[in-house]
Amino acid sequence: MPLLQLISRRLLQLIGVLAGISLVTFLLVHMAPGDPARLLAGERASAESIAAIRAQYGLDLPLWRQFLTYIANLVSGDIGLSLRFQRPVIQLIEQFMWPTLFLTGYVLCLAVPPTVALAILGARRPGGIGDQIIRLVGIAGLTIPVFWLGIMMSRFFGVSLGWFPVSGYGTGFTGHLHHLFLPAVSTAIWLVPVLTQSLRAALIEKTTADFVTAARAQGATERQIFWQTMLPNAVLPTLNLLGVMVAFMIGGAVIVETVYAVPGLGTLMVNALLGRDYYVVQGLTLVFAVSTVLITLAVDLLTAFIDPRVRF
Amino acid sequence: MNSLSRSRMRAASAVLHGAVVMAMGLCWTVPAFAADVIRVVSPFQTTTLDPMRSAAAGNIETYGQLYSRLLRRDAETGALEPGLAEKWDISPDGKTYTFHLRDAQFSDGSPITAADVAFSLERIRTDKKSAYPAPLGAVEAVSAADAKTVVVTLKSAFAPFLGNAEIWNMGIVSKADVDKRGEEAFASVPVTSGPYEVKQWKPNEKLVLEPNPHYWRKGYPKSDATVELIEIASPETRIAMLKAGEIDVVRAVPWAQVDDLKTVETVDMRLEPSTTIYMTLLNHKREPFSNLKARQAAGMAIDNKAMAKAITRGYAEPANTTLPGSVDFHDKDYPGISYEPAKAKELLAESGMAGREVKILATADALSQQMALLIQAQWQAIGLKPSIVNVDGGAWWDATGKGDYDAAANWWYNETPDPDLAVRWAVCGTCGSNSYNTFYENPKVDALVEQGTREADPAKRAEIYKEIQRITTEEVAQIPLYYAPNAVAYSRRLQGLRLTPSLQWTLEETSIGQ
Repeated sequence: MPLLQLISRRLLQLIGVLAGISLVTFLLVHMAPGDPARLLAGERASAESIAAIRAQYGLDLPLWRQFLTYIANLVSGDIGLSLRFQRPVIQLIEQFMWPTLFLTGYVLCLAVPPTVALAILGARRPGGIGDQIIRLVGIAGLTIPVFWLGIMMSRFFGVSLGWFPVSGYGTGFTGHLHHLFLPAVSTAIWLVPVLTQSLRAALIEKTTADFVTAARAQGATERQIFWQTMLPNAVLPTLNLLGVMVAFMIGGAVIVETVYAVPGLGTLMVNALLGRDYYVVQGLTLVFAVSTVLITLAVDLLTAFIDPRVRF
Repeated sequence: MNSLSRSRMRAASAVLHGAVVMAMGLCWTVPAFAADVIRVVSPFQTTTLDPMRSAAAGNIETYGQLYSRLLRRDAETGALEPGLAEKWDISPDGKTYTFHLRDAQFSDGSPITAADVAFSLERIRTDKKSAYPAPLGAVEAVSAADAKTVVVTLKSAFAPFLGNAEIWNMGIVSKADVDKRGEEAFASVPVTSGPYEVKQWKPNEKLVLEPNPHYWRKGYPKSDATVELIEIASPETRIAMLKAGEIDVVRAVPWAQVDDLKTVETVDMRLEPSTTIYMTLLNHKREPFSNLKARQAAGMAIDNKAMAKAITRGYAEPANTTLPGSVDFHDKDYPGISYEPAKAKELLAESGMAGREVKILATADALSQQMALLIQAQWQAIGLKPSIVNVDGGAWWDATGKGDYDAAANWWYNETPDPDLAVRWAVCGTCGSNSYNTFYENPKVDALVEQGTREADPAKRAEIYKEIQRITTEEVAQIPLYYAPNAVAYSRRLQGLRLTPSLQWTLEETSIGQ
């Protein structure tokens, strides 16, 4: 089974990726200036207490020994303890994971339907009025900085109109939908143009493809040609792009999460970096790496499913 | 492109339309503001619940809610009054303090005994991991004479002792609990002695507190509301949340937002007294600022009146000495460092430091950037070559601690009205603080610092601290910039809540009105 082969090869690759990423992140965070013990104990802490804290967490050991301990723990499935909160990193990640995943799913739901609709609308008559407007608005959406848009939307829809909460995650499914609406829209506003441009270009390219002419010659209706021949072929590059974007959102929703105070992985990452919470940063990086690999795998599987020519 | 049939298009747009309508529909489920939660937002994080372990800003806010101390301060007047200690005797030589404890209980219902007090104080004083043992620096031993009596013996008479026993890290913890659970005791739900206990701690997000039913002050907390201490990094978000009514209190309101918030009907924007001083650290360890004349020139180059006005929109007072303006014995009549750019230029030339590169450290926040930019411009004008190096908080402490910088504008505050801890922190070379990482050292000042604590007569103490302020300001240990009030915005539905100069919320005094 080539499919099984693909999966097993990817999982093997994953081990290499994780090993490389662990080493790089470990070196980066440990060599950056700043001392977690100082940030934990506060500015007035004496040199003695800082030294005691460093000794307690093994931060005074040579770097290679710290790394070996870390790797040994990692292999046994333990990604460590937060230096600041004295809680397992995995527990923190679990706490902050859901808002981010929910937000990512929400953005997808908000972004995919308009992308398809707009791309089709634009590709129907390239260069036409509709296409021009879509492209113009798309460029505007792309160029507006997310943090600015976020602040403006929270001021307008949250503070002035009071329609949406400006912060938090809410409780229950509808609560999440309500609280994350503005963050999701802010993200979708730049995501939709990116995806639309890709899909539109692919659609236009495929209208003159040989297989479209062939299908037409065989007497297929235009509707059949579009849905069965053109769209499946055109959607592949966009699907890949979408995969990259989803992976990016899981790891990089930092700005949106900060502006809307969403307790997600992005906020956790920023604070862990600022607090030099080494194991949290390392743990999060591993999670991001794993999710990226898994998402690309999923996209590849989908691609293989859509286009039987793509075999590995 | 008639290949795209009309009906498909219609279907697609219907889906889109449906999504929008559904999303808009969500707007109408307006969030109900639960009346029984007080939400307090701060940029500073709670990172530990152990009162001994941290002196960082977010934890200071939290400790006061969780742990009672021997003494407390009146929420209105700030006067010292009995806390867990009902009364106390001081021996005539001022070296022995005997505290008589009241009947009080921990949040688990067990009695708070002298053994708990001795354990807690000894822990702060001698445990290696104690972040801030300095307030108990004069203590020789703490012991429990009987179940209700604690005896503290000092190495020598120490005037600020009672005040120091009230500081945020002096909270009394349960010996039995810490003995049993060790550090775990503080990892999630500690046994507390203060007005609140922990309902839930979500590190990095919020700390949820509920009233401690066994709190010794009967009838307090006045409101049985749950309290959420929420951490929000972005100042814009904090303000938006307040305006949208999602929270009740915002600490550290940016100066630019103060006037705007004053016009919001539901918000009580207050500028509360603080012991905060903004100043510029100078690195005395290396040139140019190891040179006295260069430091004086740098000081004279800075128009701190204009800076206070520009940065805080006039809400802060220009600083005239190296000490916070509201600590006891602050010398209000001292003229301060005058703004004389021409003379500064001359002095700098005399010092031989003209044209020297100066590395100004700044963090990313707006305030730090403004201060750094203004200082850079003013120093450039007298012939220094300042450049701003942007770092984050971790790297900032690393660089200043090692003396790898020339100047860095920042703030600090004093936890008590008594100036002893302030001078030990800011200008004392032998107190373990390296004079707040400036490496300023003057044996005369160090001697005065010790003398100040041994002197019991307030008039004589005033003279000592005046002298310390005069010497350190003349020698430009640091460049004083301004004394800023705490800018805190409150929802008008709350009564009795304030942030004290010691940075403690008076949540137990707070009630919810209409």
